[in-house]
Amino acid sequence: MTQAYHQLVKRLLDGELSLSDLPAELRAEGAEALRLLGTVDRTPVLLPVQLDARVMAEVRRRARSPLRRAWRRLVEPRDVELRLRVRPWVVWGGALAVAATVALLFAWPPPSPGGARPVRMAARDSVFVRFVLYAPGAKRVAVAGTFNQWDQNAAPLVRLGAGGIWTITLALPQGQHQYAFVVDGERWVPDPAAPGIDDGFGRRNSVVAVTAHGARTL
Amino acid sequence: MGLREQATDGEVVQAVLAGDVEQYAVLVRRYRDRYARFAARMLGSLDAAEDAVQDALVRAFDQLAQCREPDKFAGWLFLILRNRCFAERRRQTREGRGLEATDEAVAGPDRPDGNVEQVERTRALEQALVKLTPEQREVFVLKHVEGLAYEEIAAMTGATVASLKMRMHRAYDRLRELLKEHS
Repeated sequence: MTQAYHQLVKRLLDGELSLSDLPAELRAEGAEALRLLGTVDRTPVLLPVQLDARVMAEVRRRARSPLRRAWRRLVEPRDVELRLRVRPWVVWGGALAVAATVALLFAWPPPSPGGARPVRMAARDSVFVRFVLYAPGAKRVAVAGTFNQWDQNAAPLVRLGAGGIWTITLALPQGQHQYAFVVDGERWVPDPAAPGIDDGFGRRNSVVAVTAHGARTL
Repeated sequence: MGLREQATDGEVVQAVLAGDVEQYAVLVRRYRDRYARFAARMLGSLDAAEDAVQDALVRAFDQLAQCREPDKFAGWLFLILRNRCFAERRRQTREGRGLEATDEAVAGPDRPDGNVEQVERTRALEQALVKLTPEQREVFVLKHVEGLAYEEIAAMTGATVASLKMRMHRAYDRLRELLKEHS
């Protein structure tokens, strides 16, 4: 087993110290470590010029795709001019109906067996979302997603008692976020309480949609 | 009317979203090589890096409407490429195909200066790099190959500086161990 570098040598490699800052007994180790960095190859990598043509051919093919055009018509924002001619009692009646519907939704939230669900409003444009996973055999569980750049160390879940329930509450900005649970640092698990979508690389992710009114899995 | 090469990323993205698909070539030319070295070091293969960059550029086009800050297209593209590299690594691990060997071109090609010992040490380091975890390899490549500061890496990846340093310090120890075994 090779001995680990001394903390001061690691700071030397990080560029925080110079070799002369090290105590005399660490200078040989420091010099060895610097030789390691001296072998790093920083030669620029240039990709073949044909890559441009391949990318643009694929881009043109996708742009022509009727499916893509239909999808863009569905999702892209556009200006819509709407003119209505209504009587005042219709406006007030409609407003009351909307208010009653919203009140009912908040009074009886739909039951959710686990996974991602809204807890309460966080800061402006963010909503607290609770992630829950039942993983009785796990030693550690984290949630990684587009909201934390898929960093599996950024959001570790906490085990609730000995029952195998893991949970964390995060403030997420409004929008759609893909995510998955990471069990024991190596097993990526989609949310069993939410439908999965293909991430395009053979793995399943879950999706949570966060709006000003809460969050729901897709 | 085409956009000039000096157009900002935001202007090009807006033109593409407005239907001028050919303008996407400006972004392809601008970024095709910028992250190629990162991808090559992450994947240990020039071919795999080329595939990853190509996929990332196509995927970025597909999702262009979701790019909330078009003037920060470069950082957004980097995240797509990074996810692609991590996914490729996971796929290889699942299939039991570790990155045991690196391409000659990535692992230090022969140099005209003829310093054989230096070339051999560079190859040994590149082969050790692909045995790090993807997270350790990423922070090492971004800091010591791309020359970024911890704060810049944190801004790009969303990780904290403290967690990046922890990963890097573990990477130093692991590299020392691997290079001792090699020698």
